[in-house]
Amino acid sequence: MTVTDRLLRCLLAPAMLVLAATGAMADGPVLRLTGAVNGGLVEITRADLDGMMWHEIATSTTVTDGQPLFRGVLMRDILAHAGADGEVVTAQALNDYVIDIPISDFQDFDVIAALYMDGVALTPRDKGPIWIIYPRDDHGVLADIRYDMRWVWQLVALHVQ
Amino acid sequence: MRRAGGSLGYGGLAALIVICLGLLVLAAANIARLERQMQISATENMTWIFGQTQIEALNLAAALSDGAEDDLIQLRFDLLVSRLNLLRDGPQWRFLQEAGLAEGLMGWRAGLLALDPARGGDRGALAAHVTALSTALRAKASRVMAREWQIQSERLDRLGQMHLLALAAILGALLAGATLAALLIDRERRLVRAELDRARAERLERDLNVERTVSDGYRRLTDLIAHQVRTPLAVIDSAMHRLTRPGKPPTLEVIRAKAEVSRDAVARLVRLTDTALLMARADRGAIAPELARHDLAGIAAMAIEDVQSLRGSQQGGHLRFQASNQPVHAHCDPLLTQEILFNLLTNALLYAAPGGDIEVIPAFVDEAAVCDICDRGPGMTQPERDSAFDNFARGAAHRDLPGSGLGLPLARHLARLQGGDVTLLPREQGGLIARLILPAGVAA
Repeated sequence: MTVTDRLLRCLLAPAMLVLAATGAMADGPVLRLTGAVNGGLVEITRADLDGMMWHEIATSTTVTDGQPLFRGVLMRDILAHAGADGEVVTAQALNDYVIDIPISDFQDFDVIAALYMDGVALTPRDKGPIWIIYPRDDHGVLADIRYDMRWVWQLVALHVQ
Repeated sequence: MRRAGGSLGYGGLAALIVICLGLLVLAAANIARLERQMQISATENMTWIFGQTQIEALNLAAALSDGAEDDLIQLRFDLLVSRLNLLRDGPQWRFLQEAGLAEGLMGWRAGLLALDPARGGDRGALAAHVTALSTALRAKASRVMAREWQIQSERLDRLGQMHLLALAAILGALLAGATLAALLIDRERRLVRAELDRARAERLERDLNVERTVSDGYRRLTDLIAHQVRTPLAVIDSAMHRLTRPGKPPTLEVIRAKAEVSRDAVARLVRLTDTALLMARADRGAIAPELARHDLAGIAAMAIEDVQSLRGSQQGGHLRFQASNQPVHAHCDPLLTQEILFNLLTNALLYAAPGGDIEVIPAFVDEAAVCDICDRGPGMTQPERDSAFDNFARGAAHRDLPGSGLGLPLARHLARLQGGDVTLLPREQGGLIARLILPAGVAA
């Protein structure tokens, strides 16, 4: 029922942020890429993501207990899909949290844009629609505040520079 | 007493090493713990997380009071719920519980969800709830910050203590190490001194032995002179006495005979003096052989001639020279070689049976130039042959025969100076072979 409501809202919503926030289950864009990408703007829909290879990472995080299993697509696949050509992406979250991430991170590590945690879809009421997940337990260097800051949750936009 | 001190010393050293290593391990463990604990974790950012929750509450309150559109209000509502959910997650929730700030928070969340605008919740009631929530959060915010700083300060205190402990351990190890080094250096110094003392004692012992040998040699030389010089002098004295006896003057034959006896005696004296001088020069290392290619047979022939001219009328063996088919060339000094052969021949004549043949055979043996002097005398046993080359050694049965006891040692010494040797071998049919070995002379 909630899903139906959201779908309705989603179709009606004029604001891009709201579109992205609640569009996880819809055909509307879930992620907006701007800057040095094809045509200066690429909107990624859930269908686009479904067309990519999905990956799973079980890792500890700094804000949860245990090792949740995350499922999503590789960040580098998303950037490649958008034809991104740059050094840094500025990630933006629903609450306007903004941080710069070097694109080399996505080449060096299998960083994913997770849409599911322990099999449950991430929603804006939790850390959705997208949570950037680093394979923290596989690389000692990632257990560091400088990387922890890049775990953007409620991700809605990427600006490539 | 000394051993007890030594074992105590070893025990002390071992204890110091253990202390030193133990302290270093302690320091390393502390430094490793420091390294681990120095990482900053995101959960230490509770002030920020709590602040974000406050901001989202205020944003929702503002959106509601502004009469914003449903979608925006829904977004703000979702974000506030997500922040409350975040506070409810493991590490954050434990922090709040330990700080005594968790109480009531989930009640606020339940109240909020009950007024979910997506489910047609009442806006007025939601606004009142969110405003009250903001006030409640504001009251807790400063305590979250205080708690966070408290935790950080305690952590810094712990790090500081670990750091101090590591520093103290390192200083202790340094102290133990310095003591250890001082002890080891002292031990080493004493060892070196003991070693020097031992070397000095050995040198003194060696010098003493050399002195003993020299003084022994002088004593034996004195004995020898007394014996060997006295006999010819007595012979000369007796001859002179016969010639000057009062009464009937001696006949010409008698004079000639006595003169010959006297000359023989003088020749023996000269020979003895020459040998002693040569030996002294050899001992000083003052002999430099002039090595060249010479025919050993020729030198042997000259030596035989020398011996026979000196021998005069004396009884003894008969020298027989066996020339080889081909010349035997040796790389040698002819004068020294002649001296060696002279000595070996004199010995052979002295000890061989009277009338027995003495063969002199130059030949090549095992690519060396060799001259064998074979007599048919009594021969020598192995121990006798072994000791024959010691200075002043005289055969047990021949103490009364004329001879210096220097002949064989001198012969061997001179042979070795030329890269050769002198050895004594038993002769199969009885008797002795004295063999001079010299490097073969290679044609230039």
